[in-house]
Amino acid sequence: MKGFFCHLFLPQETNNYRPKIIHHSSLLFLIILLFLFSLYAPFLKKSYSGVLGVSIGISSQDLLLLTNKKRQQNGLSSLKLNAELNQAASLKGTDMFAKNYWAHTSPSGTTPWFFIKKAGYKYVYAGENLARGFTSSEDVINAWMDSKSHRENILSKNFQDVGFAVVDGILDGEVTILVIEELGGMNPIVLDRKSAFNESVAKQNKAVEGVKSSSIIKAPILDTLSFSKILAYGIFLFFIFIFALDMIIIENKKIIRFVGHNSDHILFLGLMLLFIVIISKGVVF
Amino acid sequence: MIKHSEHHIGYYISLFLIFIFSTIIMLNFSQNKQIQASIIVLTAFSYVLFGIIHHKAMHDLTSKIVIEYILIGSLGISVVIFFITGGFLS
Repeated sequence: MKGFFCHLFLPQETNNYRPKIIHHSSLLFLIILLFLFSLYAPFLKKSYSGVLGVSIGISSQDLLLLTNKKRQQNGLSSLKLNAELNQAASLKGTDMFAKNYWAHTSPSGTTPWFFIKKAGYKYVYAGENLARGFTSSEDVINAWMDSKSHRENILSKNFQDVGFAVVDGILDGEVTILVIEELGGMNPIVLDRKSAFNESVAKQNKAVEGVKSSSIIKAPILDTLSFSKILAYGIFLFFIFIFALDMIIIENKKIIRFVGHNSDHILFLGLMLLFIVIISKGVVF
Repeated sequence: MIKHSEHHIGYYISLFLIFIFSTIIMLNFSQNKQIQASIIVLTAFSYVLFGIIHHKAMHDLTSKIVIEYILIGSLGISVVIFFITGGFLS
């Protein structure tokens, strides 16, 4: 058994001083396996939709609670969930999918304020935060808080009301979940820090009552996002480790081989790992 | 020996610049998955090309080395495709 693993992972005489796992045949086998899985993954997800899928938990209630938590931490009053702003957010989401755009202003020049007015909310102040590609309410709020302009919207004293829409559809040919937050203030009077603290969590919960909430909750048995992320990270890290180990052993033993530079492969695989981190992140606008 | 080192440094600087450039584009086009996918394929292609050029400059290029670079490049792309199809909503 030990001999088999050494043959597989360490450069030695039995594998011509190149770990078997990085021989051409092994790499080709793995590439074919990954391509086959990629080819069948959409069919598998459709056939076993209750078992396989991306776990999603985004709801307007959670978004409201988390938004107000951030506001309270900064000594601000809680926002109230507003039916008109909810409708405005929903209209904005529908418009983005219908006209296939991802921006505050539509290609035809429609601004967020149009949807807010259309929904019947008479604002003095208004703001909009957008997010896409996230799978949890916490991640959405954290991403907004990490962005200066979105953070300013969430922590603005000018807003007293908020509305959310969590909608899924096809944007740029890709199934996407959009989170739209419309913020509004009818009253130009700014609440002071003291009065903000006096607002209780109970009041927040009361505000949710009677307002239709928007959410997308999916909890498949196997979360394919986590599964594929762990496997992709694992494959890259594993091969980086094997190439590094091979390089060290060969350098120490001073064996001359005519193979590619392991340092090139390590750099490339490390970059691909970074690319996966980048593409797996949601974006805010 | 000095000549070899210079070759290596020049090669790695070029490779680093390509990698940094592609990372910047990846970050700037975080909203466009199609552009990101194109960048991944182009980066893998550049890596294979530069690997071949590097070995050619070192006078140790063999068909096995060419295949090795192509396989590692393909492995990178196949893992990313696997992640996209497995992890995304569609």
